[in-house]
Amino acid sequence: MSMDFSPLEQMAVVMARDLADGELGAAGAAALVPMAAIALAREMHAPNLTIGGEMFFNPVAGHLYPSMLDDRALGRCEASETFIELFGHSHHGLDFFFHSGLQIDRYGNINLHHVGGTLHAPKMRGPGAANLSYCHTSTRFYICPTVHNVRNFVDTVDFITIPGNMSGPDSKAAAGLVNEGPRLVVTPRAVMDFDPETLRIRLKSVHCGNSVQDVLDNTGFTPDVPENTGRTPPPTADELAVLRGKIDPSGALRA
Amino acid sequence: MTRSTKTIGLNEAATRAAAALNERPEICLGGLFKQSRPVALVRALLATGSDGLHVYSSPGAGYDVDLMIAAGAIDEVFVPGVTLENRLCPNFRMAVESQQVKAHALDALTIVGGLMASAHGVPFQPIAALKGSDVLKHNPLITPFDCPLTGQPLYAVPPIRPRVTLLHAQEADRWGNIRHLSTMVYADQLMARASDMVIVSVDRLVDDDVVLDDPRSVTIPAHYVDAVVEVPYGAHPTASFPNYAMDEKHIDAYADLGDAARRGDGAGLAAYLEQHVTSAPDQPQYLRNIGETRLSELQAEARAL
Repeated sequence: MSMDFSPLEQMAVVMARDLADGELGAAGAAALVPMAAIALAREMHAPNLTIGGEMFFNPVAGHLYPSMLDDRALGRCEASETFIELFGHSHHGLDFFFHSGLQIDRYGNINLHHVGGTLHAPKMRGPGAANLSYCHTSTRFYICPTVHNVRNFVDTVDFITIPGNMSGPDSKAAAGLVNEGPRLVVTPRAVMDFDPETLRIRLKSVHCGNSVQDVLDNTGFTPDVPENTGRTPPPTADELAVLRGKIDPSGALRA
Repeated sequence: MTRSTKTIGLNEAATRAAAALNERPEICLGGLFKQSRPVALVRALLATGSDGLHVYSSPGAGYDVDLMIAAGAIDEVFVPGVTLENRLCPNFRMAVESQQVKAHALDALTIVGGLMASAHGVPFQPIAALKGSDVLKHNPLITPFDCPLTGQPLYAVPPIRPRVTLLHAQEADRWGNIRHLSTMVYADQLMARASDMVIVSVDRLVDDDVVLDDPRSVTIPAHYVDAVVEVPYGAHPTASFPNYAMDEKHIDAYADLGDAARRGDGAGLAAYLEQHVTSAPDQPQYLRNIGETRLSELQAEARAL
Protein backbone atom coordinates (compact mmCIF):
# COMPACT_ATOMS: atom_id res chain seq x y z
CA MET A 1 0.00 0.00 0.00
CA SER A 2 1.41 3.36 -0.92
CA MET A 3 1.44 6.08 1.67
CA ASP A 4 1.65 9.78 1.10
CA PHE A 5 2.97 10.37 4.60
CA SER A 6 5.82 8.86 6.60
CA PRO A 7 5.62 6.69 9.74
CA LEU A 8 7.19 9.51 11.78
CA GLU A 9 4.59 11.97 10.48
CA GLN A 10 1.89 9.50 11.52
CA MET A 11 3.44 9.29 15.00
CA ALA A 12 3.58 13.07 15.37
CA VAL A 13 -0.07 13.41 14.33
CA VAL A 14 -1.28 10.72 16.76
CA MET A 15 0.45 12.38 19.70
CA ALA A 16 -0.50 15.93 18.67
CA ARG A 17 -4.18 14.97 18.78
CA ASP A 18 -3.80 13.81 22.39
CA LEU A 19 -2.35 17.11 23.68
CA ALA A 20 -4.85 19.66 25.00
CA ASP A 21 -5.07 23.42 24.86
CA GLY A 22 -3.67 25.11 27.97
CA GLU A 23 -1.34 22.27 28.95
CA LEU A 24 2.34 22.56 29.92
CA GLY A 25 4.79 20.00 28.60
CA ALA A 26 8.19 19.24 27.11
CA ALA A 27 9.61 16.96 24.45
CA GLY A 28 12.37 15.11 26.34
CA ALA A 29 15.59 13.81 24.77
CA ALA A 30 15.62 12.53 21.16
CA ALA A 31 12.89 15.06 20.61
CA LEU A 32 12.36 15.14 16.86
CA VAL A 33 8.92 13.49 16.77
CA PRO A 34 7.69 14.83 20.15
CA MET A 35 8.57 18.40 19.23
CA ALA A 36 6.77 17.99 15.92
CA ALA A 37 3.72 16.71 17.83
CA ILE A 38 3.75 19.61 20.26
CA ALA A 39 4.22 22.20 17.52
CA LEU A 40 1.42 20.63 15.47
CA ALA A 41 -0.95 20.67 18.46
CA ARG A 42 -0.18 24.36 19.02
CA GLU A 43 -0.93 25.14 15.37
CA MET A 44 -4.07 23.00 15.09
CA HIS A 45 -6.12 23.03 18.32
CA ALA A 46 -3.94 24.03 21.30
CA PRO A 47 -2.64 27.58 20.78
CA ASN A 48 -2.39 28.06 24.56
CA LEU A 49 -0.27 24.97 25.10
CA THR A 50 3.01 26.05 26.75
CA ILE A 51 6.28 24.35 25.88
CA GLY A 52 8.31 24.53 29.08
CA GLY A 53 10.14 22.54 31.71
CA GLU A 54 13.39 21.97 29.82
CA MET A 55 15.01 25.38 30.24
CA PHE A 56 13.18 27.16 27.41
CA PHE A 57 9.66 28.41 26.75
CA ASN A 58 7.79 28.29 23.45
CA PRO A 59 10.47 28.01 20.78
CA VAL A 60 9.18 29.30 17.44
CA ALA A 61 8.39 26.44 15.07
CA GLY A 62 10.22 26.47 11.78
CA HIS A 63 12.82 23.70 11.65
CA LEU A 64 13.18 20.37 13.44
CA TYR A 65 16.51 19.14 14.80
CA PRO A 66 17.40 15.68 16.16
CA SER A 67 17.91 17.24 19.58
CA MET A 68 15.77 20.20 20.48
CA LEU A 69 18.29 21.13 23.20
CA ASP A 70 20.12 22.97 20.46
CA ASP A 71 20.40 26.71 20.03
CA ARG A 72 19.65 26.26 16.34
CA ALA A 73 16.22 25.14 17.50
CA LEU A 74 15.90 27.50 20.46
CA GLY A 75 17.47 30.66 19.14
CA ARG A 76 13.99 32.07 18.76
CA CYS A 77 12.06 31.26 21.91
CA GLU A 78 10.20 33.37 24.44
CA ALA A 79 12.41 32.81 27.47
CA SER A 80 15.11 30.55 28.83
CA GLU A 81 15.72 29.01 32.26
CA THR A 82 18.46 26.96 33.92
CA PHE A 83 18.79 23.66 35.73
CA ILE A 84 17.75 25.39 38.96
CA GLU A 85 14.27 25.99 37.55
CA LEU A 86 14.33 22.51 36.03
CA PHE A 87 14.78 21.13 39.56
CA GLY A 88 11.49 22.84 40.48
CA HIS A 89 9.62 21.78 37.36
CA SER A 90 10.73 18.19 38.00
CA HIS A 91 9.07 18.26 41.41
CA HIS A 92 5.94 20.17 40.36
CA GLY A 93 5.52 18.04 37.24
CA LEU A 94 4.23 18.88 33.78
CA ASP A 95 1.07 17.82 32.01
CA PHE A 96 2.92 15.66 29.53
CA PHE A 97 6.39 14.37 28.64
CA PHE A 98 7.89 11.91 26.13
CA HIS A 99 10.30 9.01 26.47
CA SER A 100 11.99 6.39 24.35
CA GLY A 101 14.51 3.68 25.21
CA LEU A 102 16.74 0.74 24.34
CA GLN A 103 14.10 -1.61 25.73
CA ILE A 104 10.39 -1.13 26.46
CA ASP A 105 8.52 -3.89 28.26
CA ARG A 106 4.90 -5.04 28.41
CA TYR A 107 4.17 -2.74 31.36
CA GLY A 108 5.70 0.32 29.69
CA ASN A 109 8.88 0.34 31.76
CA ILE A 110 11.84 1.77 29.86
CA ASN A 111 15.52 0.78 29.96
CA LEU A 112 18.27 3.17 28.91
CA HIS A 113 21.09 1.78 31.08
CA HIS A 114 22.26 -1.66 30.00
CA VAL A 115 21.26 -4.72 27.98
CA GLY A 116 22.64 -7.96 29.38
CA GLY A 117 25.10 -8.33 32.24
CA THR A 118 24.85 -5.99 35.21
CA LEU A 119 25.04 -2.24 35.64
CA HIS A 120 28.77 -2.28 36.35
CA ALA A 121 29.57 -5.23 34.08
CA PRO A 122 27.15 -4.67 31.20
CA LYS A 123 27.11 -6.58 27.96
CA MET A 124 25.92 -3.39 26.28
CA ARG A 125 25.95 -0.01 28.05
CA GLY A 126 23.37 2.54 27.01
CA PRO A 127 23.36 6.28 27.56
CA GLY A 128 21.46 6.40 30.85
CA ALA A 129 18.97 9.23 31.23
CA ALA A 130 19.02 12.67 32.74
CA ASN A 131 15.48 13.23 33.95
CA LEU A 132 13.77 10.39 35.79
CA SER A 133 11.12 12.55 37.43
CA TYR A 134 8.78 13.81 34.73
CA CYS A 135 7.57 10.26 34.02
CA HIS A 136 5.84 10.17 37.41
CA THR A 137 5.48 13.79 38.53
CA SER A 138 3.77 14.70 35.24
CA THR A 139 0.13 13.90 34.59
CA ARG A 140 1.12 11.40 31.90
CA PHE A 141 3.81 10.54 29.37
CA TYR A 142 4.07 9.07 25.89
CA ILE A 143 6.47 6.34 24.78
CA CYS A 144 7.55 6.97 21.20
CA PRO A 145 10.50 4.92 19.88
CA THR A 146 11.32 5.44 16.22
CA VAL A 147 11.82 1.71 15.70
CA HIS A 148 9.52 -1.15 16.65
CA ASN A 149 11.02 -4.64 16.67
CA VAL A 150 11.59 -7.65 18.91
CA ARG A 151 14.82 -6.18 20.24
CA ASN A 152 13.34 -2.99 21.71
CA PHE A 153 9.92 -4.38 22.68
CA VAL A 154 10.76 -7.04 25.27
CA ASP A 155 8.81 -8.96 27.89
CA THR A 156 10.82 -7.57 30.82
CA VAL A 157 13.46 -4.83 30.73
CA ASP A 158 16.93 -5.60 32.08
CA PHE A 159 16.94 -2.36 34.08
CA ILE A 160 14.12 0.08 34.87
CA THR A 161 15.47 3.52 34.00
CA ILE A 162 12.06 5.14 33.51
CA PRO A 163 9.27 3.43 35.45
CA GLY A 164 6.07 2.81 33.55
CA ASN A 165 3.52 0.60 35.30
CA MET A 166 6.18 -1.50 37.13
CA SER A 167 4.70 -5.04 37.17
CA GLY A 168 1.08 -3.99 37.53
CA PRO A 169 -1.26 -1.96 39.77
CA ASP A 170 0.05 -3.22 43.14
CA SER A 171 3.73 -2.65 42.43
CA LYS A 172 2.99 0.68 40.78
CA ALA A 173 1.17 1.87 43.91
CA ALA A 174 3.89 0.43 46.18
CA ALA A 175 6.52 2.47 44.28
CA GLY A 176 4.53 5.62 44.97
CA LEU A 177 3.65 6.20 41.33
CA VAL A 178 0.33 7.97 41.73
CA ASN A 179 -0.12 9.56 38.30
CA GLU A 180 -1.29 7.96 35.06
CA GLY A 181 2.24 7.19 33.83
CA PRO A 182 2.49 5.97 30.24
CA ARG A 183 -0.69 6.72 28.28
CA LEU A 184 0.17 5.69 24.75
CA VAL A 185 2.99 3.82 23.05
CA VAL A 186 3.28 5.30 19.58
CA THR A 187 5.67 3.57 17.17
CA PRO A 188 6.27 3.58 13.41
CA ARG A 189 3.92 0.58 13.19
CA ALA A 190 1.10 1.06 15.66
CA VAL A 191 -0.51 2.79 18.61
CA MET A 192 -0.74 0.84 21.85
CA ASP A 193 -2.33 1.74 25.16
CA PHE A 194 -2.66 0.06 28.55
CA ASP A 195 -5.37 -2.25 29.87
CA PRO A 196 -6.84 -0.34 32.84
CA GLU A 197 -7.09 -3.53 34.94
CA THR A 198 -3.68 -5.13 34.34
CA LEU A 199 -1.77 -2.00 33.20
CA ARG A 200 -0.27 -4.12 30.42
CA ILE A 201 0.31 -2.91 26.88
CA ARG A 202 -2.46 -3.73 24.42
CA LEU A 203 -2.82 -2.93 20.75
CA LYS A 204 -5.02 0.06 19.98
CA SER A 205 -4.60 0.71 16.27
CA VAL A 206 -2.31 -0.25 13.40
CA HIS A 207 -0.81 2.31 11.01
CA CYS A 208 -1.34 2.27 7.27
CA GLY A 209 1.06 -0.22 5.67
CA ASN A 210 1.10 -2.63 8.65
CA SER A 211 -1.12 -5.55 9.64
CA VAL A 212 -1.88 -6.71 13.17
CA GLN A 213 0.30 -9.71 12.42
CA ASP A 214 3.20 -7.43 11.37
CA VAL A 215 2.98 -5.69 14.72
CA LEU A 216 2.82 -8.96 16.67
CA ASP A 217 5.75 -10.38 14.68
CA ASN A 218 7.82 -7.35 15.64
CA THR A 219 6.94 -7.27 19.33
CA GLY A 220 8.93 -9.37 21.79
CA PHE A 221 5.86 -10.19 23.87
CA THR A 222 2.26 -10.88 22.95
CA PRO A 223 0.11 -7.85 23.65
CA ASP A 224 -3.64 -8.21 23.98
CA VAL A 225 -5.40 -7.44 20.72
CA PRO A 226 -8.87 -6.12 21.62
CA GLU A 227 -11.71 -6.76 19.17
CA ASN A 228 -12.03 -3.06 18.42
CA THR A 229 -8.39 -2.73 17.28
CA GLY A 230 -8.57 -0.72 14.07
CA ARG A 231 -6.57 1.38 11.66
CA THR A 232 -4.81 4.44 12.98
CA PRO A 233 -6.61 7.47 11.53
CA PRO A 234 -4.08 8.82 9.02
CA PRO A 235 -2.96 12.45 8.99
CA THR A 236 -5.54 14.78 7.50
CA ALA A 237 -4.65 17.03 4.61
CA ASP A 238 -4.73 20.01 7.01
CA GLU A 239 -2.41 18.32 9.50
CA LEU A 240 0.07 17.39 6.80
CA ALA A 241 -0.03 20.88 5.29
CA VAL A 242 0.78 22.50 8.64
CA LEU A 243 3.38 19.89 9.53
CA ARG A 244 5.24 20.26 6.23
CA GLY A 245 4.64 23.95 5.69
CA LYS A 246 5.29 25.43 9.11
CA ILE A 247 7.00 22.86 11.32
CA ASP A 248 9.14 20.55 9.22
CA PRO A 249 9.83 22.25 5.88
CA SER A 250 13.17 20.44 5.56
CA GLY A 251 11.46 17.05 5.80
CA ALA A 252 13.27 15.63 8.84
CA LEU A 253 10.25 13.44 9.56
CA ARG A 254 10.41 12.04 6.02
CA ALA A 255 14.17 11.41 5.92
CA MET B 1 48.19 48.30 44.41
CA THR B 2 46.30 47.59 41.22
CA ARG B 3 43.54 45.12 40.68
CA SER B 4 44.69 41.73 39.33
CA THR B 5 43.30 40.53 36.05
CA LYS B 6 42.22 36.90 35.75
CA THR B 7 43.19 36.32 32.13
CA ILE B 8 45.68 33.50 31.60
CA GLY B 9 46.77 31.32 28.69
CA LEU B 10 45.39 27.93 27.78
CA ASN B 11 48.46 25.99 28.85
CA GLU B 12 48.67 27.76 32.19
CA ALA B 13 44.97 27.05 32.76
CA ALA B 14 45.56 23.36 32.05
CA THR B 15 48.57 23.25 34.38
CA ARG B 16 46.60 24.86 37.20
CA ALA B 17 43.65 22.54 36.70
CA ALA B 18 45.86 19.45 36.54
CA ALA B 19 47.66 20.40 39.78
CA ALA B 20 44.37 20.92 41.59
CA LEU B 21 42.96 17.65 40.26
CA ASN B 22 46.00 15.83 41.58
CA GLU B 23 44.82 16.85 45.05
CA ARG B 24 41.23 15.73 44.45
CA PRO B 25 40.14 14.30 41.09
CA GLU B 26 36.60 15.72 40.89
CA ILE B 27 36.19 17.68 37.67
CA CYS B 28 32.98 19.26 36.42
CA LEU B 29 32.22 20.37 32.85
CA GLY B 30 29.75 23.07 31.82
CA GLY B 31 27.40 23.25 28.86
CA LEU B 32 24.98 20.54 27.82
CA PHE B 33 25.40 17.71 25.31
CA LYS B 34 26.87 19.41 22.20
CA GLN B 35 26.48 22.98 23.36
CA SER B 36 28.94 25.33 25.04
CA ARG B 37 31.26 22.60 26.24
CA PRO B 38 34.76 23.68 27.38
CA VAL B 39 36.44 21.43 24.83
CA ALA B 40 39.66 23.44 24.31
CA LEU B 41 40.24 23.40 28.07
CA VAL B 42 39.54 19.66 28.12
CA ARG B 43 42.03 19.05 25.28
CA ALA B 44 44.68 21.12 27.05
CA LEU B 45 44.05 19.25 30.30
CA LEU B 46 44.37 15.91 28.50
CA ALA B 47 47.65 17.08 26.97
CA THR B 48 49.06 17.41 30.52
CA GLY B 49 48.46 13.68 31.04
CA SER B 50 45.95 14.28 33.83
CA ASP B 51 44.23 11.01 34.75
CA GLY B 52 42.24 9.14 37.39
CA LEU B 53 39.49 11.74 37.12
CA HIS B 54 35.94 11.58 38.43
CA VAL B 55 33.87 13.55 35.94
CA TYR B 56 30.67 15.45 36.66
CA SER B 57 28.73 17.64 34.29
CA SER B 58 25.37 19.14 33.72
CA PRO B 59 23.10 16.10 33.53
CA GLY B 60 23.89 15.48 29.86
CA ALA B 61 27.32 15.11 28.24
CA GLY B 62 28.75 13.45 25.18
CA TYR B 63 31.77 14.19 23.00
CA ASP B 64 34.08 15.66 25.64
CA VAL B 65 33.50 12.93 28.23
CA ASP B 66 33.97 10.31 25.52
CA LEU B 67 37.21 11.99 24.40
CA MET B 68 38.50 12.05 27.99
CA ILE B 69 37.75 8.34 28.27
CA ALA B 70 39.49 7.67 24.94
CA ALA B 71 42.55 9.47 26.32
CA GLY B 72 42.48 7.29 29.44
CA ALA B 73 41.87 10.21 31.81
CA ILE B 74 38.69 9.07 33.57
CA ASP B 75 38.15 6.43 36.26
CA GLU B 76 34.56 7.20 37.25
CA VAL B 77 31.65 8.93 35.50
CA PHE B 78 29.04 10.79 37.54
CA VAL B 79 27.02 12.07 34.57
CA PRO B 80 23.40 10.82 34.34
CA GLY B 81 23.21 10.80 30.54
CA VAL B 82 26.25 10.21 28.31
CA THR B 83 25.31 10.23 24.64
CA LEU B 84 25.97 11.88 21.30
CA GLU B 85 22.16 12.00 21.05
CA ASN B 86 21.99 10.64 17.48
CA ARG B 87 24.23 7.72 18.52
CA LEU B 88 25.88 6.18 21.55
CA CYS B 89 29.26 7.36 22.86
CA PRO B 90 31.67 4.67 21.59
CA ASN B 91 34.53 5.00 24.06
CA PHE B 92 32.23 5.47 27.04
CA ARG B 93 30.40 2.33 26.06
CA MET B 94 33.56 0.30 25.39
CA ALA B 95 35.26 1.39 28.62
CA VAL B 96 32.23 0.62 30.79
CA GLU B 97 31.56 -2.71 29.09
CA SER B 98 35.20 -3.74 29.64
CA GLN B 99 34.98 -2.44 33.25
CA GLN B 100 37.86 0.00 32.80
CA VAL B 101 35.58 2.90 33.73
CA LYS B 102 32.83 2.89 36.34
CA ALA B 103 29.69 4.74 35.21
CA HIS B 104 27.36 5.40 38.11
CA ALA B 105 23.59 5.27 37.71
CA LEU B 106 22.40 8.79 38.49
CA ASP B 107 19.69 11.26 37.61
CA ALA B 108 19.50 14.97 36.93
CA LEU B 109 18.04 15.91 40.32
CA THR B 110 20.84 14.20 42.24
CA ILE B 111 23.50 16.13 40.33
CA VAL B 112 21.63 19.44 40.30
CA GLY B 113 20.63 18.97 43.96
CA GLY B 114 24.20 18.20 44.99
CA LEU B 115 25.47 21.27 43.18
CA MET B 116 22.69 23.32 44.80
CA ALA B 117 23.68 22.12 48.29
CA SER B 118 27.29 23.06 47.58
CA ALA B 119 26.41 26.44 46.07
CA HIS B 120 24.01 27.27 48.88
CA GLY B 121 26.30 26.15 51.69
CA VAL B 122 23.86 23.66 53.25
CA PRO B 123 24.71 20.09 54.30
CA PHE B 124 22.27 18.40 51.93
CA GLN B 125 19.49 19.02 49.43
CA PRO B 126 16.24 17.07 49.86
CA ILE B 127 14.80 15.46 46.73
CA ALA B 128 11.21 14.27 46.62
CA ALA B 129 10.66 13.45 42.95
CA LEU B 130 12.52 10.14 42.62
CA LYS B 131 10.33 7.06 42.43
CA GLY B 132 10.22 3.67 40.78
CA SER B 133 13.54 3.70 38.89
CA ASP B 134 16.25 1.08 39.38
CA VAL B 135 18.64 4.04 39.45
CA LEU B 136 17.53 4.54 43.07
CA LYS B 137 18.97 1.14 44.00
CA HIS B 138 22.39 2.01 42.57
CA ASN B 139 22.75 5.80 42.94
CA PRO B 140 25.76 6.20 45.29
CA LEU B 141 25.02 9.82 46.19
CA ILE B 142 21.57 9.61 47.81
CA THR B 143 20.43 8.59 51.29
CA PRO B 144 16.75 7.94 52.06
CA PHE B 145 15.25 9.75 55.03
CA ASP B 146 11.81 10.78 56.28
CA CYS B 147 10.84 14.44 56.13
CA PRO B 148 10.98 15.78 59.71
CA LEU B 149 7.89 17.91 59.02
CA THR B 150 5.56 15.59 57.11
CA GLY B 151 7.06 12.12 57.42
CA GLN B 152 7.19 11.88 53.62
CA PRO B 153 9.97 9.60 52.32
CA LEU B 154 12.70 11.72 50.73
CA TYR B 155 16.28 11.42 49.56
CA ALA B 156 19.19 13.54 50.78
CA VAL B 157 22.04 14.37 48.43
CA PRO B 158 25.20 15.83 49.99
CA PRO B 159 27.03 18.79 48.45
CA ILE B 160 28.84 18.04 45.19
CA ARG B 161 31.95 20.19 45.34
CA PRO B 162 34.06 19.85 42.19
CA ARG B 163 37.75 20.59 42.75
CA VAL B 164 37.81 22.14 39.28
CA THR B 165 34.99 23.29 37.05
CA LEU B 166 35.67 24.10 33.39
CA LEU B 167 33.12 26.26 31.57
CA HIS B 168 32.80 27.85 28.15
CA ALA B 169 30.96 31.11 27.45
CA GLN B 170 30.96 33.65 24.66
CA GLU B 171 32.41 36.71 26.40
CA ALA B 172 34.19 37.92 29.52
CA ASP B 173 36.06 40.97 30.71
CA ARG B 174 39.64 40.77 31.98
CA TRP B 175 38.41 40.61 35.59
CA GLY B 176 36.51 37.38 34.94
CA ASN B 177 32.93 38.63 34.60
CA ILE B 178 31.29 36.09 32.29
CA ARG B 179 28.61 36.78 29.67
CA HIS B 180 26.70 33.87 28.10
CA LEU B 181 25.07 35.08 24.89
CA SER B 182 23.55 31.66 24.13
CA THR B 183 19.85 31.02 24.72
CA MET B 184 20.38 28.66 27.66
CA VAL B 185 22.96 28.87 30.43
CA TYR B 186 22.50 25.20 31.46
CA ALA B 187 23.91 24.58 34.98
CA ASP B 188 26.97 26.78 34.44
CA GLN B 189 26.02 29.38 37.06
CA LEU B 190 25.30 26.70 39.64
CA MET B 191 28.59 24.92 38.97
CA ALA B 192 30.52 28.17 39.29
CA ARG B 193 29.03 28.71 42.75
CA ALA B 194 29.53 25.08 43.79
CA SER B 195 33.19 24.55 42.91
CA ASP B 196 36.61 25.17 44.45
CA MET B 197 38.27 26.36 41.24
CA VAL B 198 36.47 27.77 38.21
CA ILE B 199 38.21 28.26 34.85
CA VAL B 200 36.22 29.70 31.96
CA SER B 201 37.13 29.79 28.28
CA VAL B 202 35.47 32.50 26.20
CA ASP B 203 35.41 33.09 22.47
CA ARG B 204 36.52 36.67 23.06
CA LEU B 205 37.43 39.15 25.76
CA VAL B 206 35.49 42.43 25.80
CA ASP B 207 36.23 45.88 27.18
CA ASP B 208 35.28 46.72 30.76
CA ASP B 209 32.60 49.09 29.47
CA VAL B 210 30.69 46.24 27.79
CA VAL B 211 30.13 44.74 31.24
CA LEU B 212 29.58 48.04 33.06
CA ASP B 213 27.02 49.21 30.50
CA ASP B 214 24.87 46.09 30.99
CA PRO B 215 25.60 44.39 34.33
CA ARG B 216 22.44 42.28 34.19
CA SER B 217 23.88 40.45 31.20
CA VAL B 218 26.72 39.09 33.32
CA THR B 219 25.74 35.48 33.92
CA ILE B 220 28.62 34.63 36.30
CA PRO B 221 30.19 37.46 38.33
CA ALA B 222 33.97 37.47 38.54
CA HIS B 223 33.70 36.73 42.26
CA TYR B 224 33.07 33.08 41.39
CA VAL B 225 35.72 32.84 38.67
CA ASP B 226 39.41 32.01 39.22
CA ALA B 227 40.67 32.37 35.68
CA VAL B 228 39.43 33.27 32.24
CA VAL B 229 41.06 32.18 28.99
CA GLU B 230 40.36 33.77 25.61
CA VAL B 231 40.11 30.85 23.18
CA PRO B 232 38.56 31.51 19.77
CA TYR B 233 36.34 28.53 18.89
CA GLY B 234 37.05 27.18 22.37
CA ALA B 235 33.91 25.01 22.33
CA HIS B 236 34.58 23.39 18.93
CA PRO B 237 33.34 20.83 17.90
CA THR B 238 30.43 21.73 20.17
CA ALA B 239 28.40 24.90 19.61
CA SER B 240 28.88 28.38 21.01
CA PHE B 241 25.86 30.42 20.02
CA PRO B 242 25.55 32.92 18.53
CA ASN B 243 29.16 32.60 17.36
CA TYR B 244 29.27 29.14 15.74
CA ALA B 245 27.13 26.02 15.38
CA MET B 246 28.04 22.51 16.48
CA ASP B 247 30.28 20.60 14.07
CA GLU B 248 28.19 17.47 13.68
CA LYS B 249 30.39 16.14 10.85
CA HIS B 250 33.47 16.31 13.07
CA ILE B 251 31.72 14.59 15.97
CA ASP B 252 30.28 11.92 13.68
CA ALA B 253 33.71 11.24 12.14
CA TYR B 254 35.16 10.99 15.66
CA ALA B 255 32.40 8.56 16.67
CA ASP B 256 33.09 6.43 13.57
CA LEU B 257 36.74 6.16 14.69
CA GLY B 258 35.57 5.27 18.19
CA ASP B 259 33.26 2.57 16.87
CA ALA B 260 36.10 1.17 14.76
CA ALA B 261 38.27 1.06 17.89
CA ARG B 262 35.46 -0.73 19.72
CA ARG B 263 35.53 -3.39 16.99
CA GLY B 264 39.30 -3.79 17.31
CA ASP B 265 40.76 -1.25 14.88
CA GLY B 266 42.14 1.53 17.06
CA ALA B 267 44.53 3.11 14.55
CA GLY B 268 42.19 5.89 13.44
CA LEU B 269 41.24 6.85 16.96
CA ALA B 270 44.90 6.88 18.01
CA ALA B 271 45.72 9.17 15.08
CA TYR B 272 42.82 11.45 16.01
CA LEU B 273 44.05 11.74 19.59
CA GLU B 274 47.59 12.39 18.36
CA GLN B 275 46.46 15.10 15.96
CA HIS B 276 43.88 16.89 18.09
CA VAL B 277 44.97 16.27 21.66
CA THR B 278 48.56 15.17 22.13
CA SER B 279 50.35 17.16 19.45
CA ALA B 280 47.97 20.13 19.11
CA PRO B 281 47.72 21.60 22.58
CA ASP B 282 47.58 25.19 21.33
CA GLN B 283 44.40 26.49 19.81
CA PRO B 284 45.87 28.11 16.66
CA GLN B 285 47.33 24.76 15.57
CA TYR B 286 44.08 22.98 16.43
CA LEU B 287 42.12 25.46 14.32
CA ARG B 288 44.55 25.07 11.42
CA ASN B 289 43.88 21.34 11.59
CA ILE B 290 40.12 21.90 11.49
CA GLY B 291 40.48 24.36 8.62
CA GLU B 292 39.37 27.90 7.93
CA THR B 293 36.64 26.81 5.51
CA ARG B 294 34.91 24.57 8.02
CA LEU B 295 35.08 27.17 10.77
CA SER B 296 33.56 29.78 8.46
CA GLU B 297 30.69 27.43 7.66
CA LEU B 298 29.95 26.89 11.35
CA GLN B 299 30.07 30.62 11.97
CA ALA B 300 27.79 31.32 9.02
CA GLU B 301 25.27 28.72 10.18
CA ALA B 302 25.04 30.29 13.64
CA ARG B 303 24.83 33.82 12.29
CA ALA B 304 22.11 32.89 9.80
CA LEU B 305 19.65 31.89 12.54
